[in-house]
Amino acid sequence: MNRTSQALTVRPGVLRLWGMALVGCGVTILCSCRGPASGPGEFGPIAGGQYPSLPESAYTGMPAPGQPCPMPMGPTAAPGMPHGIPLPYMAGGPWAPEGTSQPWPAEEYLCDGGDRGLPAEVRPDWEVLGLESEDTIAHFDTLDGETLIEPSNRVCIYSPRFNAVRRVETPVASERAEGWADVASPEVLMGPTNTQRVGTNTQNFQPVLHDRTRLVETFLGEQNGGEVSGAQGLRAFEDGFLPYENLQVIRQGVIDSAEMPFLALGAKAAITWSSDQAVQVILDEQSAMEDVSDVTAPSVYTVNAPPANPRLRVVKVASTPFAEPGDEVAFTIRFDNVGNQPIGNVVVIDNLTTRLEYLPDSAQCSIEASFFTQANEAGSLAVRCEVTEPLEPGEGGILRFRCRVR
Amino acid sequence: MVRVFRCMAIEKLVSRRVVGRLALVLIGGLATASVLSAQEPPVHYLHQGMMPPGAIGSRHLQRRAPLLGYFQPVEIRAPAGAQVSLAVDGRFAEPTSAPRQVGMLIGQVYRIRVTNIPRQSGMEVFPTIEVIDRTYAPVGQQRRFAIPVELSQEDMELAMAGKFVTRVIYLEDPHNALPVQGNLSGQNWFEAAPGQDPLAVADALGRPVAILRIGARLPSIGGEPSAEFLFGSPPVQMAAGNVHGPMTNDQ
Repeated sequence: MNRTSQALTVRPGVLRLWGMALVGCGVTILCSCRGPASGPGEFGPIAGGQYPSLPESAYTGMPAPGQPCPMPMGPTAAPGMPHGIPLPYMAGGPWAPEGTSQPWPAEEYLCDGGDRGLPAEVRPDWEVLGLESEDTIAHFDTLDGETLIEPSNRVCIYSPRFNAVRRVETPVASERAEGWADVASPEVLMGPTNTQRVGTNTQNFQPVLHDRTRLVETFLGEQNGGEVSGAQGLRAFEDGFLPYENLQVIRQGVIDSAEMPFLALGAKAAITWSSDQAVQVILDEQSAMEDVSDVTAPSVYTVNAPPANPRLRVVKVASTPFAEPGDEVAFTIRFDNVGNQPIGNVVVIDNLTTRLEYLPDSAQCSIEASFFTQANEAGSLAVRCEVTEPLEPGEGGILRFRCRVR
Repeated sequence: MVRVFRCMAIEKLVSRRVVGRLALVLIGGLATASVLSAQEPPVHYLHQGMMPPGAIGSRHLQRRAPLLGYFQPVEIRAPAGAQVSLAVDGRFAEPTSAPRQVGMLIGQVYRIRVTNIPRQSGMEVFPTIEVIDRTYAPVGQQRRFAIPVELSQEDMELAMAGKFVTRVIYLEDPHNALPVQGNLSGQNWFEAAPGQDPLAVADALGRPVAILRIGARLPSIGGEPSAEFLFGSPPVQMAAGNVHGPMTNDQ
């Protein structure tokens, strides 16, 4: 009796604790569902400090006259830049929800530049992969034989375009729909049915030989878990994927843009796994020996050769911050060799977005270069500028072309 | 005695189990509803283009955005020669030639009257315009990038023939834009496929901002139109001068 009453008095207390924990979890879930998203990016100075001079008519993302400037201005501004640092361009309207990326709202801005989506890649035959619309990149060859890629900054122009969807219907008035109230289905006897009782059961065929008895050899399905678990074990590979394989590109071979960050993380993880990050020691059954010598170098010569650092800076600006459909917008791309060694085969590619129509023969370059255009998948053109001569450190050029906003 | 004590304890246990299960179901339901609410996409899947005028815009005002009290610039376009008049103070104002820029409140329904329609002498149509979202143009550029509401000749002739025309004007997503020239010979538009809701189609391709409805309603014959027909004549701002000029309150 004591044992029974003790069990009954302890279990309600456990239930009460369990209930309180459940309520606490629920409150936590309710409070965390509308939590603030990650904060917006903050403006800050650009590493590198000075920028090369740009055309006076170039639009660098500064607000229109009379608008507040989010950049540091006045005495705290960067040297030589009283109106603030011109880059990067952070367009935005008068109000934006917290946690949203700029420019906002994205439907009202026409952007060009950068390397969105998959990172661009240059194959040995100079074919460029991963170049989406809006991308502006430059690739060049180094003295080491490498081909490097440098994207430009992103320029956004306020240029909303309105479309309409129409639907025409015929209103119906004074019309009454009549339907069947009921369906009469008379059933008539076709004929009398006679039921006769079986008097004698005659079996014409009898088993002659017992062939064999088939027994259960394998179980395809297996019950796992506890008493009420209905989980079925896997029978083949296609029945399930591992957690890290929960990507559409793995499952169906279709690349989804939302999976790009996960694919990038996976790529970094693969690099980490394949490298040796610990000191490798081989003992080989020999004891370590200390080497002592009194021979020293008579003199030490130091060569201060900086490591090779080939770099190309690509800056893109637009001629206007606002544009209506039909307006012309000029883009200027400035590229400079800011590294410490010559670079060659410099190629600047601007893959124009759908709503930008390249004006033929409007491209020009401050240095000797060849221009090519090619239709892209966005229904526009990709403008390609191939610089003829190598660029020495400190050298650069300016590329200009015009587009019409569709 | 032991049996009575045991029965009381079991009843207590059963009642607490029931309460616990009810609490579990309640918390589960609330958590699911909260998650669904937090993940609510900024689209109109719960709405349809055939909902009554004003239903969509008024629901949109409940979203977290500075929409209440904002006069969105709208440019009413019509065929050459046609005249447009807005409902002000319970009656239609003096007609003016199109295009005409006005500031409209979001969520309100504006009744307008179109007269002098080319090739339709003596005929009038009474479309409604419902602004359901706003644009966020830079300061000083609001009127330059007004929402265009186009009253095409074809739409008005369809309305005169007894049809009901619904046009959902939306902001096109640049990544889904059609490679066509815009705004040179009128607004780009296309017909919704049979069975498709124009609001859902516009949501898929961009952000709906206004709904134009033409046809299916006539004002009262004789006398002034009723307040219900004019949807209460909501306040409107009249634009003056060029696209950089100010707007003035007309009511």
